[in-house]
Amino acid sequence: MLKKKCIAMLLAGGQGSRLGLLTKVVAKPAVPFGGKYRIIDFPLSNCSNSGIDVVGVLTQYQPLELNRYIGAGQPWDLDLMNGGVYVLPPYMKGKSGEWYKGTANSIFQNIAFIEQYDPDYVLVLSGDHIYKMDYRLMLNDHIEHQADVTIAVRPVPWEEAPAFGIMSVDGENRITEFEEKPTRPKSNLASMGVYVFSWPVLKKYLTEDDADPDSKNDFGKNIIPKILADGLRLQAYSFEAYWKDVGTIASLWEANMDLISYPPKFDLRDSRWPIYARSPKMPAQFVGSVAEIQRSSITEGCEIYGTVRHSVIFAGVTIEEGAVVEESVIMPNTVVRRGAIIKRAIVAENCEIGPGALVGATEAESGEIALVGQNTHVPAEYVITAGEQIDTDVIEAREARKA
Amino acid sequence: MKDALGIIYTSKDDLSLRELTAHRSIAALPVAGRYRIVDFLLSNMVNSGVRNVGVITQRNYRSLMDHLGAGKEWDLHTRNNGLFILPPFINGEKGGEYSGALEALRANFDYLRRSRQELVVFTNGNAVYSTSYEPMLRQHEETGADVTIMYASDAARDQYLSSYAGNRHAYLNVDGDKRVTDIEINPNAASYGNMSMDVMVIKRTLLMHLVDQAYSQGMTDVYGDILRAQIKTGMLDVRGYEFKGYYRRVETVQGYYRLNMDILGKYCRKALFSDYPVYTKERDEVPAVYGPTAKVKNSIVADGCVINGTVENCILFSGVKIGRGAVVKNSILFQDSYIEDNVELEYVILDKVVTIRTGGRLIGQTQYPIVIGKNVTL
Repeated sequence: MLKKKCIAMLLAGGQGSRLGLLTKVVAKPAVPFGGKYRIIDFPLSNCSNSGIDVVGVLTQYQPLELNRYIGAGQPWDLDLMNGGVYVLPPYMKGKSGEWYKGTANSIFQNIAFIEQYDPDYVLVLSGDHIYKMDYRLMLNDHIEHQADVTIAVRPVPWEEAPAFGIMSVDGENRITEFEEKPTRPKSNLASMGVYVFSWPVLKKYLTEDDADPDSKNDFGKNIIPKILADGLRLQAYSFEAYWKDVGTIASLWEANMDLISYPPKFDLRDSRWPIYARSPKMPAQFVGSVAEIQRSSITEGCEIYGTVRHSVIFAGVTIEEGAVVEESVIMPNTVVRRGAIIKRAIVAENCEIGPGALVGATEAESGEIALVGQNTHVPAEYVITAGEQIDTDVIEAREARKA
Repeated sequence: MKDALGIIYTSKDDLSLRELTAHRSIAALPVAGRYRIVDFLLSNMVNSGVRNVGVITQRNYRSLMDHLGAGKEWDLHTRNNGLFILPPFINGEKGGEYSGALEALRANFDYLRRSRQELVVFTNGNAVYSTSYEPMLRQHEETGADVTIMYASDAARDQYLSSYAGNRHAYLNVDGDKRVTDIEINPNAASYGNMSMDVMVIKRTLLMHLVDQAYSQGMTDVYGDILRAQIKTGMLDVRGYEFKGYYRRVETVQGYYRLNMDILGKYCRKALFSDYPVYTKERDEVPAVYGPTAKVKNSIVADGCVINGTVENCILFSGVKIGRGAVVKNSILFQDSYIEDNVELEYVILDKVVTIRTGGRLIGQTQYPIVIGKNVTL
């Protein structure tokens, strides 16, 4: 195997339980985003565009869809002889073998994979963020500062800070304090979940961490605090451009809306930094003679006969005449029947919204986002109110109660 | 079923398509927002289980080569078999151009000899239809025919002729046993209702034998010379296979325009896209964006478009931009056309990367759409 200067390890094993029904049958990184992408397309395309051509994807929760999607890595130019993308599930070793116990443990269990490439640096990424980033610049920063660890950071609103890994830095951007999800944050500088490690350092700490029975085997809770406590050089790398954690229904909805704001807060139309995706291989979209579409993003395989305003419509969606979709995200292959109204909602893949059904907010500009889970058949005239999360099980249970 | 290889013959008869074929062969012409004509033929082959496909190219084949690449999008980038691009030998008799399909086949005997499949599906590269050749191959075996020719039935043909003009076709007389008893080549008024689709199934060794014989006698045309003679003498068992779907051959600007407008109809889109997938080269475009002032009706829109104006009865290929106040009707815009604000277009076909500056106005006619060549700014 050829030596690589830097390889990437992508943490894709979490369930993403805050996404509710959306991650009932798929892992969070496989959740559709932005009309024709999935969340994992962003870190994978960033790697590809940054010239990082070995990516290990650590999977554990509901990996079927994710494995199928990644395939041999051809959409990201990662189907290579020397390198490429590898899906790394937990596996048996001799008589033992166990699930990944935490983010750090998942990488510890794949030390053999990493060592094949004899890398100087390992880039650790998470599979739940939407951003375009040149990892080379961060790696150069790491090398220039002769750091042991570099963490990408950005300021977040103070009220959101308790949800992140928060750090304090000195005048040279050297990290002086790190707290994972603090209840009372001392700073609003948040970790983006993008780390560069010098490999010998990471290997040493992963091995020590594994030997510690009290450890939660987590980067934020254990590895980073330990390295900091030992006085090694931890450097912060500031990233100012668009970045969004899409870990919740509301933030996923918002990030989709950011693509169609005018002008877009996050622009995918960027020939210098394209985001690649596996194509659904469908014909170009068709717009019918009474359709009305404004301020929306629509992609291949769609047939639009109704009204679509300020929405993101994914591949293969049909919106029938008389249906109205507003401020919503409609995921692949869903059909919205005649007269149905959807407002401020996310409708997952392969759903059918029955004729005359109402999904989401009825009042303008208000209410939480409604969610319809995968493969749900919403009956005709059915009403789903703002903030509700519905799938076939929920609908059946309700009907049974009524009967 | 016996194994078959596929040959797609891309012809050089492309003068009546004006600027559209100045830089590309008919097979490489864009259709339906994101495809090239050859995509339908290659997908037909792949959807029939044909794993070895030769594409005979001549003249302007750079664009076609660029599109086909290694055949990845059609799953034809395999270790054995796969996609073979068969360009003309520059130092052959005529340098880059064949006198017809017969000479092209003769020039590619090496490919035919090296292939192991027993049967050949031979199709012209200038038609759009979506099918699997499997039923035809099955009929070929069941009837024990030497040659089976695919033809469009009466209904399909009538519908075709009413919307089309200026095409030349072969017509077949087919009896109750599906036997072809006569072929008429390019008649002004055909005696028979069965229009040949220029698709045939034949045993590979027999094809080579017939081509060799005919070529040595100075013949040039597969249908007109070889098959006609064989049917007349009764030497070969030639049968017809009836195709009932949507079929269009592209030979003129009007025909090309009609084909694209047909695809705006539900019947045609269903016939072309719902039974079999059509594969094409991917361009990694972002989804199309409809701005606050967009008004789009009855149109096909590819990914990568940005629309702020009015679009009616149009085919927009990837990356087309329509400015505010622009009105584009009954037109076909190839990839990366840029229509600035307040432009008015009707019955036009714009080739790739055409820019129409603010306030421009171009009005053609349905019988004679205006064609603007590649990379032009007006």
